[in-house]
Amino acid sequence: MIDTRRISSTRWWNKRNLWFLILFFLTIFSVRISKNYIYQDLYYFISKPFWPGQFQREIVLDSKYKELNMKITQLNKDNKRLREILTLQSSSDESKINASVISRQTGSWWKQVLLNKGKKDGVEIGDAVIGPGGLIGIIENASFLTSSVKLLTSTESKVGVWNQRSNIHGLLVGQGTNSPQLIFYSKDLDVQVGDFIFSSPASTLLPPNIPIGIIESLDKDSQSTLIAVVQLVARPEAIDWVQVLKIQF
Amino acid sequence: MKKIINKNFSLLTFLFIPFLFFGNPKFLTLMGVEPYWAILWLFPWSYINGPFNGFLTGLALGIVLDSLNSDFYTHIPGLVACGILFGRLSSYKFDSINIFKYGLFCALGSLICNFLYWGQIFFNNYSDMNILLVSHGIKTIFAQVFITGILAPIVCTWLFNIFKKK
Repeated sequence: MIDTRRISSTRWWNKRNLWFLILFFLTIFSVRISKNYIYQDLYYFISKPFWPGQFQREIVLDSKYKELNMKITQLNKDNKRLREILTLQSSSDESKINASVISRQTGSWWKQVLLNKGKKDGVEIGDAVIGPGGLIGIIENASFLTSSVKLLTSTESKVGVWNQRSNIHGLLVGQGTNSPQLIFYSKDLDVQVGDFIFSSPASTLLPPNIPIGIIESLDKDSQSTLIAVVQLVARPEAIDWVQVLKIQF
Repeated sequence: MKKIINKNFSLLTFLFIPFLFFGNPKFLTLMGVEPYWAILWLFPWSYINGPFNGFLTGLALGIVLDSLNSDFYTHIPGLVACGILFGRLSSYKFDSINIFKYGLFCALGSLICNFLYWGQIFFNNYSDMNILLVSHGIKTIFAQVFITGILAPIVCTWLFNIFKKK
């Protein structure tokens, strides 16, 4: 009589070592198939208590800022050099004059603010004035102690601007309201609601690339031009401090 | 000197009008629009001194206001017309014009001045005229007419007292 217990223990599938080997290779195979994701995710949990702390994060961010600042400085230098070659307008941090608003007429017909800096401080007619957010207007008159700014919302104001996303130039015309009109002298242009508007880099009146506003709506019904309504970034009716940008040739 | 100032005090108050435009107190504005201070001064002055004086002071006020900003448009026609109009009211008895009518006359004067000013903007921008420009004009006219009319009884009564005393 054959001993059945002995037979079962000798069959290959009943050998524990073999199952262990199969399981091991299946694991290896799954690791291979998953392209090591399992290990990586496991390592995520294992290494979590030893991750770099806030201090190291600040070191990394600080060096990143330094790197970006160096790049900006270099780009500014390049930009200034190129603009000098093209004889276009430019401005620098040294040429900014801080001024406070001492009178404001933004509601009625007149759209102007009066600043407490004048010719004595170096303010000249035609200098650009920026508030928190972007351009608010251009110096229209300068007395010895004060200067008045014609706001972009004035019906007399006309400024060359450009849509930075699609590199299209246009003319920003004041309408008396807080939302000036932007006229592109061509139809079927790549202009969208939400596009940012900056002062034109080709302008001979204003320093380049000063933020001005965001396109609020588009009127495509006009015959030969594309007209957009622009929401200004800097709101003159709520600004108390401004900076006058001295134009450098 | 004191005598001269006392004698011409009513005319000297004229010099304070530009400061009111600059000061532009926010609590006296309606939808950001200030009262037409020039009309509030011109009405009592012209009423007391007659149409010719009204014409002259209207012209002077217009020149001063135009110098405050360098817009292409002028306040002179409106203020001159109001100066003459208010001056012609002097032929009526003073008692027949009560303080509530001050508001009405000042509002009317403000309407004339604003309408003439807006007319200039309208014709200058006729080719680019759009709903924004029109709505801004209408809002400004009505807000200024209303706030000028509201303040007129207080301001004009005070000015009438000063001008009559002097």
